[in-house]
Amino acid sequence: MESEIVQLRNVRKIYQQGEVQVNAVDEVSLSIHQGDFAALCGPSGSGKTSILNLIGGLDTVSSGQVRLEGVDLSTLSNTALSEVRKNRIGFVFQSYNLIPVMTAYENAAFVLDLQGATKTECHERVMKTLADVGLQGLENRRPDEMSGGQQQRVAIARAIVTHPAIVLADEPTANVDSHTAESLLDLMQTLNEQHGITFLFSTHDQRVIDRAKRIIQVQDGQIVSDEHKA
Amino acid sequence: MNLNTLAWRNLWRHKRRTLITASSIAFGVLLAVTFTGAGDYFYTRMIDAGANMGMGHISIMAPDYNRAPSSKKRLHQAEALKQRVEEFDDVQSVAMRIQGQAMFASARKSIGGIFFAIDPRQENSDNNLFVKAMVEGDMLPSASGSSVVLGTELAKKLKLKIGKKVVYTTTDKNGDIVSAIARVGGLFKTGSDEIDGSVAILPLHKVQKVLGYQQDEVSVLAVVLSDQRYSNQLRDKMQALPQFADVEVLNWQQTQPDLAGMIAVDKGSNYISQLLIALLVAAGILNTMLMSVLERRREFGVMMAVGMSPKNLFLLVMLESFWLAILGLIIGVIVTTPWFLFMSQTGIDLSAAYGDGFSFGGVLLDPTFKLRLFKESIIAILVGLFGLALLSGAYPAWQAGRVAPVESLKTL
Repeated sequence: MESEIVQLRNVRKIYQQGEVQVNAVDEVSLSIHQGDFAALCGPSGSGKTSILNLIGGLDTVSSGQVRLEGVDLSTLSNTALSEVRKNRIGFVFQSYNLIPVMTAYENAAFVLDLQGATKTECHERVMKTLADVGLQGLENRRPDEMSGGQQQRVAIARAIVTHPAIVLADEPTANVDSHTAESLLDLMQTLNEQHGITFLFSTHDQRVIDRAKRIIQVQDGQIVSDEHKA
Repeated sequence: MNLNTLAWRNLWRHKRRTLITASSIAFGVLLAVTFTGAGDYFYTRMIDAGANMGMGHISIMAPDYNRAPSSKKRLHQAEALKQRVEEFDDVQSVAMRIQGQAMFASARKSIGGIFFAIDPRQENSDNNLFVKAMVEGDMLPSASGSSVVLGTELAKKLKLKIGKKVVYTTTDKNGDIVSAIARVGGLFKTGSDEIDGSVAILPLHKVQKVLGYQQDEVSVLAVVLSDQRYSNQLRDKMQALPQFADVEVLNWQQTQPDLAGMIAVDKGSNYISQLLIALLVAAGILNTMLMSVLERRREFGVMMAVGMSPKNLFLLVMLESFWLAILGLIIGVIVTTPWFLFMSQTGIDLSAAYGDGFSFGGVLLDPTFKLRLFKESIIAILVGLFGLALLSGAYPAWQAGRVAPVESLKTL
């Protein structure tokens, strides 16, 4: 069995909405392993994104434990969580979320810069990653000069360029047409199979579900099934 | 990409907004230079004019003379003190003077007034207002003659013309009444009726004889400095010397407290005006930076999600304020320089509104509105506005550092 990267134990996340308490995540226990290409699926409001946010250290648990590479995230300060996100997690968002004043190259290099990588190292890794995601020659384009698919490829490059332990992708195909969605999935599948990058998606896109090697069904904040495809 | 470059680029996302805010900083520079420059110019002119009316920027006199002037109180060994004072840097001139009250009488009339006894060799238009204000005849030819120079109004009241005789009566060093006769050698007109109607200039040595003073005894050594701002510092230096132990060394604030008081009041209102301008500029910067932060909440959330620390986000917004301030100051300097050059060299003539005899705090002034800026004022304006811009950016920057990624990612 591959090593565990993420481990959730009896995790609950309760949001207060006015006077009502909402159990966004309810007693979830889950492990994500090295090399997983897993999809958290379920209807809107089922708790997929909340689970992703807890794993990514963007939100804190109400009870239970989230461990990333053995480290309990609830024990970390905000600064330490920033460090974990910077060094061990890659994020891909639904609406790309590139920094508009930066070129494709600079967006992809952003986290490496935060890590303090040298210029040479940064250049080598960014150019290779941009080539891997099929953006060779577009390094100097700004987000508003690229299509949605190209922007999402830059976002994927930004997420993987630091060699994170896991890439968390929240509805990565939701804002692109079906042709682009297929090509993005091809890309992420290739990165998973050839480079061993671990992906965890939150999605209700059937195309993603069809490609995923593991499907985790979420409903009302609970995991109702966890199926590994053959 | 380093934070500096990112901050600079962020500034140009909304060019118009950035330029409007930078222009408000630039306008702040223009106003601050105008207000401060007017202050620096007028206060210096007033202080210099006050000094040139008799007492200098620093006055050396017999103890208690300033509080209760009297011919009995006189400065001994004035010549030796004068030579010592002249050794100080920044001393432009030192003049030995006797001043007092006298009754001036012509064949037709008698009028009370003030006299300044001077040695014309020690006086010039840079340290003596009356030399500059001569309109008829000549300034005293020597310190020992029997000439007198009168204000035009005083001469008019006494019905005197050049060449006519006038008798002045005063008290000598023992308090006895003494008189002497003099011939009108010249007339001055400062433009102030009060001064022109009461002041007479007499020869020093002649008055020393009349009062019974020795040749090196005077009322006051009037010290004129190259820059009035050194008066406190030089006074303190002089007071510390043993030669000055038995005399009183006073600066212009002490000899002309009315003038000092008026300048202080005027400075106070000037500072309040500048503070209000600064607050307006600060509100503009705060508004711009806050708007810029609020509309980028999602972006900040993403930045934090991918690993940017709250500290770096704070720094990023502070750097944006920094560049905005630099930009505003550069535009401000470019816009203000031609205005300042014109105002410092040519100025605006206000004589139509105030006439030639514009006086303030009892001091006669040239009614031309000009600007002058001391080096420290320039530094204060630039540092003050720069600091203000940074301070205005601090709250938005703090807000940016407090962004909760999970909340901000929900915003559209």
